Amino acid sequence: MRGSYSVVVSNNLMQFKFTVNRNITILRGDSATGKSRLVELVREYSLNGNSSGVTISCDVGCTTLAGIRWQNEIKEIKNSIIFIDEGFDFISSEEFARAIRNSDNYYVIATRESLFNLPYSIMEVYGLKNKTRKSKYQVYDRIYSEFYPLYDDGIITNKPDAVIVEDSNAGYEFFKAICQKEGIMCISAKGKTNVYKTVKDCECGIILVVADGAAFGSEMERAISLRKAKNLLFFLPESFEWLILKSGLIDGSEIQDVLAHPYDFIDSEKYFSWERFFTRLLTDCSKDTYLQYKKDRLNKHYLNKKEMKAIREAIDSTVDRDNWLHIGDGN
Amino acid sequence: MLNVYYGKMQDVIYNTSVYFSNVFQKTWLDDEYVRKMIKSVDKSEVIGDYLIKSKALGMIAPTQLSGGVKTLILTYFKPDIIFNATTCGDNCARWFLDMAKKEDRTINLRHIMDFGDKDFEIHILNNDMFVHSMKELVLVAGDFL
Repeated sequence: MRGSYSVVVSNNLMQFKFTVNRNITILRGDSATGKSRLVELVREYSLNGNSSGVTISCDVGCTTLAGIRWQNEIKEIKNSIIFIDEGFDFISSEEFARAIRNSDNYYVIATRESLFNLPYSIMEVYGLKNKTRKSKYQVYDRIYSEFYPLYDDGIITNKPDAVIVEDSNAGYEFFKAICQKEGIMCISAKGKTNVYKTVKDCECGIILVVADGAAFGSEMERAISLRKAKNLLFFLPESFEWLILKSGLIDGSEIQDVLAHPYDFIDSEKYFSWERFFTRLLTDCSKDTYLQYKKDRLNKHYLNKKEMKAIREAIDSTVDRDNWLHIGDGN
Repeated sequence: MLNVYYGKMQDVIYNTSVYFSNVFQKTWLDDEYVRKMIKSVDKSEVIGDYLIKSKALGMIAPTQLSGGVKTLILTYFKPDIIFNATTCGDNCARWFLDMAKKEDRTINLRHIMDFGDKDFEIHILNNDMFVHSMKELVLVAGDFL
């Protein structure tokens, strides 16, 4: 499935209004904000249709998944948004990750547990925000609930003393080159699962974490918790490949169109996370050019003055304007 | 003392909501401490044995309480059982600390619950370590998730 879907779920007391942009959306936040109620309303509608008294407005079907027979049930669901409430431990299993890897469904999962088997985006982790609108016809005010993002992709206001880069390949080589120019220590975490430990062990003052936001959702909670103990900043673009595509270095009128609304181009059956799509797009579009991209090793032309400046400008446009990358002239 | 085991754990009640529905006793709602927890977390008021007035949902049954407050009530009344407290948001944290002051409680967490800015004492069972602030806790808990 591809596309972005606006969803409105309502009954006489509550209305939930939100947009689902990717294959995996996570709902967390405080207790008693309505996460379970949302899933319950979807379940009532999927079992009873209009006679449930629940109204669902969405261009694709909405249904729920629960219980020990989930593996059989999931096979029957196509082109739908599947809602899963907390309390079902299969969501953290490898079997579940395998089942949804090539799925043509989108998933909205209510859980505070970090699902390390799933590559979900930091941008698709939401809380529920409730507000009431007075209605003289109802005994109780109707509650209007919206999703709000729990994490942002990066506000970098101070020059860091160390930069920790999630990967050890092309992205790391690029940021290492920038850091060398700025006199900043650059460390590879050698994988997203090592970011927490690498930050924890780093004794530098201000630490900046650079990771692929498109798949860092499962690591974000424990990484960001370290802000209680460390002076920690995050820069989390979709991926390093996304930054290169955004820089305009690679020819192709379609690229900027894709970046403007990726959900219309990324098929959940083919790409478990957007990061993989952007890698594929960059690899294909740069093929047989001097900027031919390979993830495992950075093409040295990306470190040329002009190319590096273009990518740094793409970074600047993604994060806070007063960020550390403005220090120096980028040469 | 509040004991916390981080990460996956055997013999824990994972789906606390289902468990609550099947073990609930009407006398639980008579308890003043339970009423305070319901008021604090769910913004709801106990009216009778099986009736709660919810700001959001109107009159509801105990089974319609939030997953968080159900887990708090279970932890309060069943100290010998370990519950999955990842069903609880940060707005439940102070209640776990409070009830454990009077009598030990053990919970299982699969996320980093924020226990607030004040000092506390939590016994992390994974490595038998005691932490006294979120600053200390975050440097340990993430290793076990």
